[in-house]
Amino acid sequence: MRRFAIALELAAIVLCIGCSRQDARLEEHKKNFESLGATTKVIGEAWLSGDVSGTYTRTALEQTFYLVEQERTKLASRPEMLQDPRGAALSQEAEQLSRVIASMIGDVGSADGAAARQRLASLPIVPQERP
Amino acid sequence: MSAIVDLVLGVVTSIGGFVEVGSISTSAQAGSEFGFQLLWAVAAATVMLAMLAEMSGRLAAVGKQSVAGAVRERFGIHFQAVPLVAELIIDVLLLTAEIGGVAIAVKLLTGIAFQWWLLPIGVVVWLVLWVSGFAVVEYGLGLLGLVTLAFIVAAWKLGPDVSDLAKGLVPTMADHDMTRYAFLAVSILGATVSPYLVNFYSSGTIEEKMKEQELWVNRVTSYAGISFGGVVAMGVLVTSAMVLEPRSILVNSYEQATLMFVPTFGRWAVALFAFSLGIGCLGAALEITLNAGYVLAQVFGWEWGANKPRRDEARFTTAFTFILVLALAIGLIGFDPLKLTMICVALTVVIMPLIVLPFLVLMNDSRYVKGHTSGPIGNGFLAALTILAGLLALVVVPLEILGG
Repeated sequence: MRRFAIALELAAIVLCIGCSRQDARLEEHKKNFESLGATTKVIGEAWLSGDVSGTYTRTALEQTFYLVEQERTKLASRPEMLQDPRGAALSQEAEQLSRVIASMIGDVGSADGAAARQRLASLPIVPQERP
Repeated sequence: MSAIVDLVLGVVTSIGGFVEVGSISTSAQAGSEFGFQLLWAVAAATVMLAMLAEMSGRLAAVGKQSVAGAVRERFGIHFQAVPLVAELIIDVLLLTAEIGGVAIAVKLLTGIAFQWWLLPIGVVVWLVLWVSGFAVVEYGLGLLGLVTLAFIVAAWKLGPDVSDLAKGLVPTMADHDMTRYAFLAVSILGATVSPYLVNFYSSGTIEEKMKEQELWVNRVTSYAGISFGGVVAMGVLVTSAMVLEPRSILVNSYEQATLMFVPTFGRWAVALFAFSLGIGCLGAALEITLNAGYVLAQVFGWEWGANKPRRDEARFTTAFTFILVLALAIGLIGFDPLKLTMICVALTVVIMPLIVLPFLVLMNDSRYVKGHTSGPIGNGFLAALTILAGLLALVVVPLEILGG
């Protein structure tokens, strides 16, 4: 009976460690996606206000798109992440972010400020700016 | 009068030549992730570099020996083989990262992928070294590098709270992600105290034919110039902390780092960042290439010197050309400049004890520095740095894996 209790406790500890590691990984992915969402927002706003050129904006958005795709691949490389509802939701938001960035690259190419502004408004995973 | 001109030029070019790919990357990442909390790491690394530079300049002015040459003579080739190979590996990787930094700067301005610029930039580096002397590499690029003062202007205009800045100069524990914090602190040290700088500084002192009577020029140049240079690196950290951190932007690419200039410089932001990064990295690329030639020539006893006709020093020229070609080959295989930079700065910390320990012996050997041996402060500093470097060398790889 005592052995069974110890085994149960050990199993619970292992489960807790596994869960906290998964939580930390999810938090890390979320932070990275938020950073990339915020980057897209700042680049887009700088282009709309005329502070940065179309050349820089396209280059920077392409690099951001590449980083989003890299992060999505990392997230999807662990099935248990996508089994977790929080991971699945994050994955969907990241996919949406990726699509918005791709569309914005097109908008910048065709110098369509109105479309870019609309896309910025629908940008997912953008954290609140801290004071 | 000539000493005064040398002094002013030395201080000004030390400021202009301080910031390069390593300091921009580490300071920008530190600011965006931990605000002002890592300012102390930049300050501490700057003091360490200033003291090492002063000592290597003293060794060269008094003993007429570069650090590599003196280590070769004092300890023999069997001892030097390990630090020599380690330094050359770091030099090649760092050179690839610096050329990558210039290529990214051109990409920011033109929109053309950075890989296309690697080879042309390599050719420019080689041509500059082929046709010009030491003064162009040291003073020319150092003066152009004054564009990096834009980081101080940006930080100033953003109006940081002075008491917050002062708090950042005191080492504290991070309130989140301690492993990452420790990794960035160690990386800042690795980015600032590069082994190539120590030998380059001593070789430069010999190139400039500094005399024993001019040791005060060396002292002022190293302490004042490098300290002001450190302020530029702090400018990068402060600007990043004030612009990127509140927006939750982490620096994972130079395109993201560029955004730190937008609130201050508006339309000039991209151009100013690109010139700061490009000129800083080009200057460092020239210095690293030249230093690789210096080290090999000094260890093997070949003719060397950036001011001599190239036909008189074929092996020196071949050595730096070979290192440059090797760095370009690595670059052309494909790499991420920012990731390579972070690997380089971590590796620099690993080899630091191998560089500092022989230095401690040399600076106490009157055959090399005559009556100018290090006092208790200098010796205490070098001993502490050797112990610290040994400890950091042990922890930097685990930190790179966990927090890099």
